[in-house]
Amino acid sequence: MHFLIDPHANPRNPAEVAATRRDFLKAMSAASIAALAAGEPRRLFAEEAAAAAPKATADRCILLWMAGGMAAPETFDPKRYQPFEKGLPVERVMSTFPAIDTAIPGVQICEGLEHVAGVLDRGTLIRSHVVADLGNILHSRHQYHWHTGYVPPQTVAAPHMGSWMARVLGPNNPAIPPFIAIGQRLEDIGEKEELKAFYTGGFLGSEYGPFLLPYPDQAASAVGPPQGMTADRFASRYKKFKQLAAASPDAEFASDYHRESMLRSIENAHRLLESPDRTAFDLTLEPKESYEKYDTGRFGLGCLLARRLTEAGARFIEVSTEYVPFLHWDTHENGHETYARMKGEIDRPIAQLILDLEERGLLDRTLVILASEFSRDMMIEGRPGSTAKDQSRAKSDTLEEPIHYGLHRHFTAGCSVLMFGGGIKKSYVHGATAEERPCLALGTPVTITDLHASIYAAMGISPATSFEIEKRPFYVTEDGKGQVVKDLFERSPV
Amino acid sequence: MHATNAGGAFDIAAALPVRSAAGYDEYPSVSFPTSDRTCVPMRLFVLPAALTALLCVTPSVAADPAPIDFAHDVLPILKARCAKCHTDGTYKGSFSLDTRATMLESSAVVPGDPAASDLIDRVTSDEPDYKMPPEGDRLSEKQVTLLRRWIEADLPWTDGFTFRTAPKSKPLALQKVEIPPATPETGEHPIDRLLAAYASEHDVTLSSPADDAAFLRRLNLDVVGLLPSEAQLTEFLANTDPDKRAKAVEAVLGRDRDYAAHWMTFWNDLLRNDYAGTGFIDGGRKQITGWLYQALLANKPYDAFVRELIAPTPESEGFAKGIIWRGRVNASQVPPLQFSQNVGQVFLGINLKCASCHDSFIDDWKLTDAYGLAAIVAEEPLELHRCDIPQGKTAEAKFVFPELGTIDASVPPAERQKRLAELMTDPGNGRLPRTIANRIWRQMMGRGLVEPVDAMAAEPWSDEVLEHLAGDLVENGYDLKKLIRHIASSKAYQSQVVPLDEEPTTGEYVYAGPVAKRLSAEQFLDAVWTITGTGPDKASANIGVEPQDITDGVAGPPVRAAFVVSDPLMRSLGRPNREQVVTTRPDQLTTLQALDLSNGPLLAEMLTKGAGTLVAKFKDLPSDVLVSHLFKAALSREPTDEEFAVALDLAGSPPGQEGVTDLLWAIVLLPEFQHVR
Repeated sequence: MHFLIDPHANPRNPAEVAATRRDFLKAMSAASIAALAAGEPRRLFAEEAAAAAPKATADRCILLWMAGGMAAPETFDPKRYQPFEKGLPVERVMSTFPAIDTAIPGVQICEGLEHVAGVLDRGTLIRSHVVADLGNILHSRHQYHWHTGYVPPQTVAAPHMGSWMARVLGPNNPAIPPFIAIGQRLEDIGEKEELKAFYTGGFLGSEYGPFLLPYPDQAASAVGPPQGMTADRFASRYKKFKQLAAASPDAEFASDYHRESMLRSIENAHRLLESPDRTAFDLTLEPKESYEKYDTGRFGLGCLLARRLTEAGARFIEVSTEYVPFLHWDTHENGHETYARMKGEIDRPIAQLILDLEERGLLDRTLVILASEFSRDMMIEGRPGSTAKDQSRAKSDTLEEPIHYGLHRHFTAGCSVLMFGGGIKKSYVHGATAEERPCLALGTPVTITDLHASIYAAMGISPATSFEIEKRPFYVTEDGKGQVVKDLFERSPV
Repeated sequence: MHATNAGGAFDIAAALPVRSAAGYDEYPSVSFPTSDRTCVPMRLFVLPAALTALLCVTPSVAADPAPIDFAHDVLPILKARCAKCHTDGTYKGSFSLDTRATMLESSAVVPGDPAASDLIDRVTSDEPDYKMPPEGDRLSEKQVTLLRRWIEADLPWTDGFTFRTAPKSKPLALQKVEIPPATPETGEHPIDRLLAAYASEHDVTLSSPADDAAFLRRLNLDVVGLLPSEAQLTEFLANTDPDKRAKAVEAVLGRDRDYAAHWMTFWNDLLRNDYAGTGFIDGGRKQITGWLYQALLANKPYDAFVRELIAPTPESEGFAKGIIWRGRVNASQVPPLQFSQNVGQVFLGINLKCASCHDSFIDDWKLTDAYGLAAIVAEEPLELHRCDIPQGKTAEAKFVFPELGTIDASVPPAERQKRLAELMTDPGNGRLPRTIANRIWRQMMGRGLVEPVDAMAAEPWSDEVLEHLAGDLVENGYDLKKLIRHIASSKAYQSQVVPLDEEPTTGEYVYAGPVAKRLSAEQFLDAVWTITGTGPDKASANIGVEPQDITDGVAGPPVRAAFVVSDPLMRSLGRPNREQVVTTRPDQLTTLQALDLSNGPLLAEMLTKGAGTLVAKFKDLPSDVLVSHLFKAALSREPTDEEFAVALDLAGSPPGQEGVTDLLWAIVLLPEFQHVR
């Protein structure tokens, strides 16, 4: 299959980045221009920000979201392996999986991630990521923090990371929405209201909100005619709509602000719906052999969809294992068994995604991040000294049943993050956690704010970028203070 | 800054003032109208040296030769060395630098020519009687250079910025407005008489009267949120009674249930009341749905309405209690501060969000003002926090307008809230009626007298009209329906919308007539449900009335969109999730919204179902009957010949299921349909 790649989208020097950003503003879809004129939040200090823009090392970004709190000691930061042993004090349990070797000599991760282990030399493993202590744990609240950089509640609606990128950078390809969220439903699940609070463009406006594709295998229908409508009828309907709109007496005296801007947005939508690039959404077009490599479930197919959309020119894609309270990575009991299954779901597709991007020459310009809202521990809720309420359901001082076996408490003070491509160092491990409990991050921890600063900088966005809302500045990283973690990069963007 | 995190930084968060509180005090508080350079980021503040060392947040300022930046380079100099004697009512030597224009009026500066500018001569002079400033140190070399470069660059000025703090000097109490005499041209209505004077003063021609059909559609959508039915439209157009418009206004205002259903949306947004949302998961939020609905149904006087929200009953306490997410939150987001921010924003058009963290640098509100309101509802003594750092001081309960009276901090919170309710609705507090009158005007006329509607310290485009509306509201016992009637019966309301090429800039806006409004998500769905005969069977909101009593039965769907939990289509069309107070919704259709309308399953399903019903209903009639019906139902008018042709082509002959589905789609996507014109 052949995709168009925007020739202007190559990583480039700062001046070019700045110039291209201006080009983008000019070339941006008419609707967005109209929206800009419409009292949308305005970018503050655009000139200064452009002058100080980091040197972009990537022009597209994929966030692989391990929703529900992925335990680092069971995945990317193995500790002493402890097999299940009836009657054993639970405090003896550090990891329930043995460690395996990886493509980086001397670096081990947990059993069940053999494919990722094989490609680990393509990227960086951060083991000293720490997230905020927010007291009693509500997953969605930590997820909000991780996705927006701000802890809820906020006095204005904070935009999702993808919305920032959509707003500041725009689309790589006008026919592909710049911010696509794969795998997470926002209806019919627990905490859905809390999820909606950050799966949003926030104050930046719905133009920059997520294009939601909860089911990757149904993505094609999200960009096709409504169900049951042929392409011919769809095209004819739109053609006649335009005739009807042109014939409206309204056309003579209605304003550009109200009427024409609306017609432009409808035109943009149809441009996408009739674009040849929308085949990128259709997984049935993927060769069978390749499809099967990804087909471990919704997340695996989400990775495949992300690869196809990245090729087609998406700007930011999040693929989530999906947050549903007490499911997937959110293991309040029976963690070992659940983690074995979860790793089976993520391992092959993630590795394949990296390999496919590499093979297509896209890995160098695509920043791939794997992260979660926090880690888990067998004993500690939150972090040492936290007064957070213990929410584990497998409360027992000794291992009696398999449901006791696994890390069931939320741990915020030492988490793992993977980063690949897009200027990130290869074969590098950043930071470490203590070998014995509490497994705190050692040395200088990487906070959400600084991690975000690094991600935005890699995309050419200054961490101090701000927009004006209600006459106040709102920054892409908290208070504009995010510091790029230069060690993560082959050549730091700042 | 505002958007601060609880424990956002790792372990050092508690120990270090990472949010650089102290910097703000160094910056003078000035009022910045909307502009590109309104807020000054902390990186450019002059920080005390000791603090700078602690802060890792001060990247270096861009190196010269950067273009001259008024807000950062020039304003601090003017503010520190000139403003005291030459701004905001004090103009020594008749020299005012309130605005760029007043500066140019003086002969102190010659744009583009620093050498010829008296100002430069004076700041570099040592002559005791000539030099400026007359006292203190001379300006530094660097400062003088900046001023020179500023003049050289033609005196760039932050758009709309003024040193003049006019709103402060404006009396809080409502001012009596003299209504100009009526003429045959203006008619009797006070609003029209005021606007005629405004128009002649601003040399603007007011827009022409709207036709009956446009008037009826607008009136119904604005007052009850519904399209007029075909029967209503036919009756109205045929009616020859010269008073028919006034009677139509009466009739629509008499539809109490439809009125309440429509205004639920407005108030739910403002009071962030919803049937599902963040906070409910932990019982950290309480609906006021039943109370609000009953208040709207009974047209509860606005002063009583406000009192019951501030000093609430169990039914109305959800607003004052705020939203609590599980876990710890930033000090500026604890429920009493939420109360402070929301009371300030909703009732007074005051933004206390900045001042909840630190003394505001965009207006004159102080940390102690935000905490003063908060302390009123706080169950426990409330410690002042500056940018999340405790200050060792307890907040004192006080109202933002202390001239109206004090609040006894020693009485229990419920008593203090009662006192606040009194002060808020005190006849001396003109800000309360002004704020709501401006909001209602915007709902009806498309643009506020003051914009944005939450920044009521800004100048209205007509002081007289605003004071008149607010005064009218108070004289009529805070009766909001009477205010709506007053506006709706004016010629101004009944005139054609004024086309806009782009959103007008605040401060430059000149009124010439009403502005079109985009249908809200709820209006859009109510309209589509009406036309297609679809929609939900039952309300998800518990409004405390029997299902059969939920509408007036004149027009509209059986269950209004305002009463159901938001769905993806409504969200897409701009229904907010009500986590924050929302006072205006976006008025532009975005691409993603257009996508949802073009291929989203929810709308497609309604249209398909509606087409089936319509095809069956009109099957024995010629196609043009159906087309004519749809135009009248959706657009309150007959199609033109050209439209007829396209519509018939779409519907097919005889009209088929697919054709009618597509015609319905084309009609509801029309900009004309999606607006109140």
